[in-house]
Amino acid sequence: MLRPLYRCLLRLHPSGFRRRFADEMRSIFDHSVGKPAALRLLVDGLLSLARQWALRPEFWHELSPAQQPAADGIPAFYTLDPFRPRAGAVIHGLVLSTALFCLTCFAIRYSWIHILHVNIPAVQFDSLRSMQPSAGASATLERPTVPPRWQDKAPIALSTASHSAPVAVAMQNRALQPSATHASETLGSESPERSGRSPELLSTTPVPQAPLQPYVGTRVDQPQAPQPKPQGATSAMIRAVAEDVKLDAAERQRVIDGAIANLTKYYIYPDVAQTMADALLAHENSGDDDAATDGEVFADLLTRQMRDVSHDRYVMMVYSTVTKPENPPPSLEDVSRYRKEMEENNCTFEKVKILPHNIGYLKFNEFPDASICGTTVAAAMASLNHADAIIFDLRDNPGGYANMVALIATYLFDHPTHLNDFYNRSEHSTEQSWTHPPVPGNRLADKPAFVLTSLSTFSAAEGFSYDLKMLKRATLVGETTSGRGHMGMGHRIDDHFTIRVPGIRVVNPISKTNWEGTGVEPDVKVKAADALKTAEKLAERRLQKK
Amino acid sequence: MKDSAATFLPLSPATLHILLSLAGEDLHGYGIMQEVTRQSQGKYKLGPGTLYDNLQKLIQRKFVQELGRRPGDEDPRRRYYRLTSLGHGVLAAETERLADVVREARLRLQIAKPRRA
Repeated sequence: MLRPLYRCLLRLHPSGFRRRFADEMRSIFDHSVGKPAALRLLVDGLLSLARQWALRPEFWHELSPAQQPAADGIPAFYTLDPFRPRAGAVIHGLVLSTALFCLTCFAIRYSWIHILHVNIPAVQFDSLRSMQPSAGASATLERPTVPPRWQDKAPIALSTASHSAPVAVAMQNRALQPSATHASETLGSESPERSGRSPELLSTTPVPQAPLQPYVGTRVDQPQAPQPKPQGATSAMIRAVAEDVKLDAAERQRVIDGAIANLTKYYIYPDVAQTMADALLAHENSGDDDAATDGEVFADLLTRQMRDVSHDRYVMMVYSTVTKPENPPPSLEDVSRYRKEMEENNCTFEKVKILPHNIGYLKFNEFPDASICGTTVAAAMASLNHADAIIFDLRDNPGGYANMVALIATYLFDHPTHLNDFYNRSEHSTEQSWTHPPVPGNRLADKPAFVLTSLSTFSAAEGFSYDLKMLKRATLVGETTSGRGHMGMGHRIDDHFTIRVPGIRVVNPISKTNWEGTGVEPDVKVKAADALKTAEKLAERRLQKK
Repeated sequence: MKDSAATFLPLSPATLHILLSLAGEDLHGYGIMQEVTRQSQGKYKLGPGTLYDNLQKLIQRKFVQELGRRPGDEDPRRRYYRLTSLGHGVLAAETERLADVVREARLRLQIAKPRRA
């Protein structure tokens, strides 16, 4: 038993050593008497094996096959170079390359210019898990009282949110089933309807599943138009069960406790969160909630109670009759569906053309994920590269991904430019957003730029407008925008209730504030319908002055 | 020769014992192991791994010469090794060095020893 083992050990030795000494070592083994002696030799063989491979590279091929005559006169062909680096050199190389790798990773992570956007599949996967297209609004997300098993991964999603943004939010909008959702978006619905947008893109249903995704927000306060059931909404992943639940005092208590816990933890302003929590408790103690036995009514009631004291129209309690499993499995097919839709819709780039007087005109109706639509942007901008001025039409743009904001803005600067910061209250972290390094061959960096805005310009589209205005890089023409400068996410309270809490604030590095509530004021205030004509005239005048 | 041999000093215990065992006669590997055990009175035992690792170095440095197999040996797999003149020189130099060390050590130990009144 031990002898074959010893033979194997010898066979594992470098060929130079083996050919020279293996026979003799076997001979010595054969002369050993007793098992202990054989075991000692085995240990010795093991040590020898390690020593020969690790410390004696110069002897690995001492008896190189090339030095031996070919057997039976058959010519042999050898490709192995007998040279091997010293063990020390190999170790030095290993240490050096590891150090270099760590240094590079560190530099990428902490560089002041966040220009390298790495898509890490695991991160996307995690994000997607939190962004499942839902049959209802009661998505599974964070629950402070009983943290789900993937909750600790949330910071990862945040850290990459502005770069490798997951793609599911827009998909969610398409996949929602309004019939099953009774959100309280009719409350405080002061925003006007957007024009020219498909029902899918106009989805006003809250998307509580959205992770901490800067700029990815949905309108929560628009009237919810009846929507046809979008294709693909019947995701097999979600095994939803509709239930008709009557609320009792215990359930109401649980929902209120959950709401308070989430507000306290996530809401962007702690003092306002406390005010809302106090208000909820006060109403509960005074019996105001007792009559609400219907989930929808109760959600509306709580929403109103929170908004009355916070004046924040984006904080919202959402009720759904649909029960969803705690942690639905992620779906990659939704990612590919989003990708396909973007490809079919030309990434929402509706018009790319040259207007009279060589003015470039770009109308796009979303800020899609740059990792998917980067090539479309490059093509569009390349076609406008020789324009003398450029107009960005964001009048029908409801926002989207921060990485697309940075990508498009890149064409307007000849150096990386700090656009804004995203402050996450629950994590006390701030993430910066910068434009990329200049695009080679880009000629638009010093050309006059105009941005068309409307009351429907929302979220990331407002961010784009605001950033360029603060940097004095573009002239804003049109109407004051919606005023969405905070980003929120849904937090699951139970199977039916989800609370949407604004938890991330955009902070512009120049103004030190944002457009939340006030909207972005245009430089030239005209009706949205007249914005393009006005911008064209302004551009023409600017070009004539040159 | 002596000067060039000095560059290889000091020798490791294994090398010293191997050279010493070969100083008397040509030996095969197993013979070297037995001789080392005998010389050290069983206090130093050389495993085959260590032995052949040292032997390949000694052969490369030309301290030891490989003689090959001997017909009629008890075990035909055995190869014999011989100390070269360079090996002799190195062994002599190491022995001299060790003698100096021993002399010095004895001297110091005598000084350190308490004198009788």
